[in-house]
Amino acid sequence: MNRPLKYCLLAAGLLAAGGLRATWEQPMTREFRAAGLLSSPVGIDTRDRIGQTSSAVALGGLRTLVATFLNIRSFTYFSEKRWGDVADTYDLIVDLAPNTIQYWDMGSWHMAYNAAGDYRTNSDLPAARRREAWQEWIKRGEAFLRRGIRNNPDDWQLPAALGRICSAPDKLREYPEAVEAFRASADTGKALPYVRRLQLYSLARCSGREAEALEMARGMYASPRNRTTTMVAILFALEQKVSPSTNPTARAIELFEGDKAAYDGLSLYWLRENERFPVDGVASALKGLETKFAIPEAKSIFRKIGRRNEGPEDWFKSDTELFKEELSDRLGIPSRKK
Amino acid sequence: MTHAPTRKHPLARPRRIAVIAGHAFTQLVRMKVFYFLAIFALIAIASNFFDLPQHEGPEAMGAKGLDILRLIKSWSLGAMTLFSVVFGIVSTALLLPKDVEDRTLYTILAKPVPRIDYLIGKLGGVLLLLAVSLGLMDLLMTGMLHIRMNIVLEVQKAMADSYGWDQAARDSLTRDTLLQGPTWSLQGAVAAVFLRSAVMAAVALLISTFSSSTLFTAVVSFLVYFIGHFQGDVLGGGDSGQSAMARYLGQAVAMVFPDFQLFNVIDAVIQGKMMEIAQFGKLVWAALYYIGVYVFGSWFVFSDKEF
Repeated sequence: MNRPLKYCLLAAGLLAAGGLRATWEQPMTREFRAAGLLSSPVGIDTRDRIGQTSSAVALGGLRTLVATFLNIRSFTYFSEKRWGDVADTYDLIVDLAPNTIQYWDMGSWHMAYNAAGDYRTNSDLPAARRREAWQEWIKRGEAFLRRGIRNNPDDWQLPAALGRICSAPDKLREYPEAVEAFRASADTGKALPYVRRLQLYSLARCSGREAEALEMARGMYASPRNRTTTMVAILFALEQKVSPSTNPTARAIELFEGDKAAYDGLSLYWLRENERFPVDGVASALKGLETKFAIPEAKSIFRKIGRRNEGPEDWFKSDTELFKEELSDRLGIPSRKK
Repeated sequence: MTHAPTRKHPLARPRRIAVIAGHAFTQLVRMKVFYFLAIFALIAIASNFFDLPQHEGPEAMGAKGLDILRLIKSWSLGAMTLFSVVFGIVSTALLLPKDVEDRTLYTILAKPVPRIDYLIGKLGGVLLLLAVSLGLMDLLMTGMLHIRMNIVLEVQKAMADSYGWDQAARDSLTRDTLLQGPTWSLQGAVAAVFLRSAVMAAVALLISTFSSSTLFTAVVSFLVYFIGHFQGDVLGGGDSGQSAMARYLGQAVAMVFPDFQLFNVIDAVIQGKMMEIAQFGKLVWAALYYIGVYVFGSWFVFSDKEF
């Protein structure tokens, strides 16, 4: 057989074998993608951004290795507070390794917490610009997390992280969104028990959903494992809101299983004002307990200042507003507690 | 050159192939290729003990330990991929020209040895080399990972004690950590590395049958390797705005060259995903199909080649 004919036959044979393999290879690729064993091909945009060398390495079957190196590089950007570069790098990292939960979690944490916090305290910027940058970075972190959730629908950690951003007192304070996020996380069946409690904490802060929250709190209280200080205090406050008891002090002692535990628990709860938990009946119960323990007026929990000045509503106030507040405090004008 | 039928004993053929494979393996070992293991050992040990900068979020309890385990896997499997692909291509590209140069090829082909047996034997030698070197690297990686995972579990236990975690929380963290340790799935990933390099060796064998230069074989094989990782883009329709001609050409290229994206399951395993036995079986089938096609193609070119 002459050589050109031989090579033509070889090419035809290879084409035929290629056509045959397409019948099983494409379904196999789809199956592996559905099982999360294969990621989508690296897009042109990603290739451009990671550069020629890294692109070649990534295309050479080493995507996670490139992602690992980019993650190390992003630490440098984080140390130097180059937030734009941090965000860009994490966009690349999750393009290369979309199923590594930690990268989504870290990326959103850098944006919503570190970058936002850095802009919040940046004294070189005026208050309005600080607020804008702070909000923008929180939103970027939230959007990044939502993208991570869409890419990893079975994961519990990312919805839990979204719930934390939505419910944190220094972040979005979007409690209905937080309830949904924590619920989605807990419903995966893989989440740690605290996630269900966090769902309750957010639900308790949703205006108009107190009855629903109370039912959930009662259900959780049935298991001793769930009886954390915050959870029991929320149950107490919700009960008092929905149907106030005649003796809140007695009810608090009953729920906390002891008078000292009730006083300590409710005191801590009372000071967490900026978290906006329901506080119905808490003041009455604390007063009753202070009377019982004969706590002097000077040491009363009501004399202690909570974390009132640690919320977003205070961070971006003008100097005049801050001066007025300081003056009010010095003159002994009572705080805005219920 | 013609060959007389020699099938006197049912095991004669496998034995003949095994002898050629053994000879090819010895030939490659004499090239002192196993020195590279020292470099791999260095990488594995360095990835275990270097304290690289890590991000650690406030909620990422125990995540730092998991990150280190992932790093060890990522580096080790990355190094295995590089070494095995380079070995697979270069050693296959060297074999035929070296046999011609040493004139052993003439001696072998003068005997009643079918050329297909010679090719399978040579490829077998390369695969044996790949299996031995990957086995040694795997042993080192698994050992390192095992040691580090136990350290991480100890640290996590102390952390869980200090936070007063309940058993459910401890179990959940331990489960996540064990997934990042030396699992059977990880062994599947090492096997996937072997399968990919075996396919590459078969590709290099095909190219070497019509190439007279080792360098040409190696360069073209490396190109094929990279083209093989573009397959998903080509079959997925490619870039928008491509002409119909370019699309058809792309699909023809995709049909001729192997699709290596399938073997990227390694990435998912590094991230802690589990590969089922059935899925691994499919991967083995894919590799065998490719090897079969390329070996048959090699034989087709080599069958009446004059030296």
